[in-house]
Amino acid sequence: MKSLTIRNLSKTYFDLYAATHVTAVQDVSLEVGAGEFVSIVGPSGCGKSTILNMIAGFIPLTGGEILVGGKPVNGPGRDRGVVFQSFALFPWRTVLENVAFGPKMRGIGKAERDRIAHEYLALAKLTEAAERYPNELSGGMQQRVGVMRALANEPDVLLMDEPFASVDAQTRMTLQEELTRIWQAKRPTVIFITHDVAEAVFLADRVVALSKGRVLEEIAVDLPRPRSWDALHEDARFKALTSRVLQLVRSA
Amino acid sequence: MTPLLKIWSAYVRLTARWPSIASIVPFIPLFAAWWIVTALEIFPRVFLPGPGEVWQSFVSLTWKGILPEYLQDSIVRLAVGAAWGIALGIPLGIVIGMSSRAHAALWPLLLFFQAIGDIAWLPILVIWFGYGLVTMTAVIVYTVIFPVVLNTVLGVRSIPVNMHRAALSLGASRARVLWEVVLPGALPNIVTGLRNGLGYGWRALIAAEIIVGTSGIGFLMFDARRAGSVVEILLGMIILGILWYMVDSWILAPIERATGQRWGLVGR
Repeated sequence: MKSLTIRNLSKTYFDLYAATHVTAVQDVSLEVGAGEFVSIVGPSGCGKSTILNMIAGFIPLTGGEILVGGKPVNGPGRDRGVVFQSFALFPWRTVLENVAFGPKMRGIGKAERDRIAHEYLALAKLTEAAERYPNELSGGMQQRVGVMRALANEPDVLLMDEPFASVDAQTRMTLQEELTRIWQAKRPTVIFITHDVAEAVFLADRVVALSKGRVLEEIAVDLPRPRSWDALHEDARFKALTSRVLQLVRSA
Repeated sequence: MTPLLKIWSAYVRLTARWPSIASIVPFIPLFAAWWIVTALEIFPRVFLPGPGEVWQSFVSLTWKGILPEYLQDSIVRLAVGAAWGIALGIPLGIVIGMSSRAHAALWPLLLFFQAIGDIAWLPILVIWFGYGLVTMTAVIVYTVIFPVVLNTVLGVRSIPVNMHRAALSLGASRARVLWEVVLPGALPNIVTGLRNGLGYGWRALIAAEIIVGTSGIGFLMFDARRAGSVVEILLGMIILGILWYMVDSWILAPIERATGQRWGLVGR
């Protein structure tokens, strides 16, 4: 894993229909240490997904710079793994083949990449599902595969774009707990985008509150790990942190 | 109701074991109606011969070697034309589907030429290439290529952008994305295009054989008309239907089951 540096990042684009320039992201700076888990939280349209898409290299930035391990980002690459809200699993590949996709692109032989994929599948308790196709799995299972597919490629930074927004509430809590467990086991650098304040606080070492394309404040989350909802949802510090972040996001 | 339900349940179990029975059974009433109408001689025999006569003509034409030869000619023409149509159509569809410039430049042309229709090309093709395989292949390629191209474009464009992004983020090169994402993602639509293309191609072939042919099933039927042999015309029609049925259920349907249906991209 490596550190991520964002300096004075901005994104403006020209809206062809409205014939005006629109600023989606304005002068955002952020320093994420190697192995750190940072949540970016904000309402819809605050620019959080735009920031993630720029870090991933999916869309060009119009100002500032993004450095991964000191090197500027130029287009998508295997150093930045992405987990999508829509899962974006390959329907024509089995679960095992999906997870082994990254290693395959690196030229790793079949036996070795299957071994790697099985190791990560076991980590998410997906061993039973290895030979199935994504459409045969529940949404929660599919997103477990999505996370493992990104991790199995050993990215320097893991980018997660509202990954649990399209699964039911109970499954979401399980996935959040699993994510903290897996993060502790593998310690990747994570940028986690969400509009769910409790989720942001529960998962992260630090929460970045965003509104209208600007950083409002960064809040350190010094809750002990491993974290579980049973322990935290009545916890006074957790409640204080979430209400603080909520106030920030709502007041802006 | 119970005995009827029992019979129905037995039929469902039988067809689950031998699916081909399910495709034959619907023809039994049709066949029976044909047999009864001809046995009652409602129409003169020369206008509407019965199943027995058509069968006799099938046996005798097969015995003389005419039918196998014509059949082979027709199938080879369709195969050659379809192969060219697929080989040209899929890459063209992928280029148009992936590049908005290619789409802007070629889409109107495609729609224009699609409208001209295969048979409308025959007069000029006969002048250019004469009465032979080239003319017939050209007509089939022309017929096959449009459904293949249009459906491939649709398939390529229906792939979610995040599927491309996922592959690129996992380290795939642009070329690997083409092979790992674009082709499989478009495959269900490509198969639909093939199904339509081959169906149209088969009809175009028969029409071409009727007009420019010197052999083949279409020629057999047209030649029979000259001789006033309704038996052979009926035989030709039945062969056309059966052959298409075989192509569809032995080649196209299994491809669909193994790809789009398996992946949950197409309903079963």
